[in-house]
Amino acid sequence: MRGGLAAHVRLTRGSLDLDVELAAEPGEVVGVLGPNGGGKTTTVLALAGVVPNAAGRLRVGGESWDEPGTARPPEQRHVGLMLADPLLFPNLRALDNVAFGLRSRGVGRAAARERALAELARVGLGDQADARPRELSSGQAARVALARALAPDPALLLLDEPLSALDPDTRARTRSDLAHRLADYDGTTVLVTHDPLDALTLADRLVFIEAGRVTQAGTPGEVLREPRSPYAATVVGLNLYAAEGDTRGHATTDTGTVLVTTNPTAGPVWVAFSPSAVSLHRRPPEGSPRNSWELRITDITLHGQSARVGLAGPIRLTAEVTLESIAALGLRVGLPVWAAVKATEVRTYPR
Amino acid sequence: MRYAAGLRSRLTLGIPAGLALLLLVVPLVALLTRADWARVPADLATPTVLPALRLSLLTTSTTAVLCLLLGTPLAWFLARSDHAATRWVRALLTVPLVLPPVVGGVALLMAWGRLGLIGQHLSPFGVQITFTTVAVVLAETFVAMPFYVLAVEGAMRGLDPRLESVARTLGASDLRYLRTVALPLVLPGVASGLALAWARALGEFGATLTFAGSYPGRTQTAPLAVYALLEQDPAVAISVSIVLLVVSVLVLALLRGRWLR
Repeated sequence: MRGGLAAHVRLTRGSLDLDVELAAEPGEVVGVLGPNGGGKTTTVLALAGVVPNAAGRLRVGGESWDEPGTARPPEQRHVGLMLADPLLFPNLRALDNVAFGLRSRGVGRAAARERALAELARVGLGDQADARPRELSSGQAARVALARALAPDPALLLLDEPLSALDPDTRARTRSDLAHRLADYDGTTVLVTHDPLDALTLADRLVFIEAGRVTQAGTPGEVLREPRSPYAATVVGLNLYAAEGDTRGHATTDTGTVLVTTNPTAGPVWVAFSPSAVSLHRRPPEGSPRNSWELRITDITLHGQSARVGLAGPIRLTAEVTLESIAALGLRVGLPVWAAVKATEVRTYPR
Repeated sequence: MRYAAGLRSRLTLGIPAGLALLLLVVPLVALLTRADWARVPADLATPTVLPALRLSLLTTSTTAVLCLLLGTPLAWFLARSDHAATRWVRALLTVPLVLPPVVGGVALLMAWGRLGLIGQHLSPFGVQITFTTVAVVLAETFVAMPFYVLAVEGAMRGLDPRLESVARTLGASDLRYLRTVALPLVLPGVASGLALAWARALGEFGATLTFAGSYPGRTQTAPLAVYALLEQDPAVAISVSIVLLVVSVLVLALLRGRWLR
């Protein structure tokens, strides 16, 4: 049994000041999310040893790879690296790309070819062994890159937006190939993504990195229930506000809006409610909802049979309504509407 | 009015442009028209010419091999380094490109001559470099290497640096990455660098004459033979010139056709 990942990435690069801790058990997939420029890719490159992790530490599988003063170069770490651009060696056939890591580590030609062929077969490309990279489709190239990264059986697999360069159809298929392949990989995987679907379907735990710091770490379930940064809330699709709560059921946001909730928490809190809990009206709503604001529609996007309506005013929020209500209410961008949320739908939890 | 103005500017630019073209083309045409193609094969077999051609082939090939073996690693370091010193090394490399060849020959004498910087330590062992075939190779390498290194360095800088990062995470040493990925990818650059360097070495005259002299069979390469023959037997000199011209054009065609586009 190998040990897992214990990393402290601490470095400055340009304007980025990175201080991030990551931990995972063997076989686990850590999903790393965050806005662009926040330090996701730099974290991965530091784990690979390509970018110096100046003041950080890294232990993988019970071995120290990085201590201040003694950093192993990438070729002496046991990592697999795969980026959005598959970066196959264009002069080598698919098979030789996959065998490259094995050959580098001293595996004999015949044994390396055999293992590489098996690895290609595992990603469904056993028949493409002789193909040159330029002859492969983008999805095939991504799978070859995955096979190449995994062939030497690394202790740490680093995937930086592995699916982002693919078109939606290919992405869906490659995602399931990737899930399949990761299921029987016993090393630790760090998966950088900004696709919520990748994160929720592939990762065992999620780490949000924003402006060089971890803003939230937890299981996908925890993040879905209680996102702890506006970015995380966007990823899981919730309306989220930093607020100050009291014991009587009020929470006042930074912008001064008071939200009423039936599950009060005192002190600094996050206030969350689902877009589907928001109802829209052309007139001031009557009856039970105790949270209602007159807002203006800023954007409308369609997702299948439902629509997401962005609203701004005293508070910014997203509402999810059916296509029928869009038509019945005559909703369009710029229109003033009333948005209402029942107090029972508003959750608060400590910040 | 507009047409007249257009015509005038066309003439203002067209006449000097045409003159420039004439200056370049007329000598070549003159050489070709003066050539007696029928006697070229026989002329090449004469006792002066044949050893000179053989010597040129030997020394230029050796130069090309030296460029390949020594210039490639230099290009590799230059391409990967962002160090301030790299800029100076690159600037130094371009000096032989613009240096008058005779000055290059004098510089080589100062280095390898009997009293030269290095030569003085060789002469006690009875090793003399000046006026030998080795001197010819040194002179040709001196003028040709920069062409090769700059061409290959340019090609290597064009490689995606992330390829190397990936190769390193796959356990590849520098040498292995260079051998299995970088070199195959810059092969066109290597080939065009070699062709340029070889053509430059083939035409080398001034540095060779100054540093190695013009001893038939030992240091008299084809260009030196042409110069020597021009007084003794101009017709043969023209034949050899024709051969050198054809070879240069062939190298150019090879470069353009395959790598320069």
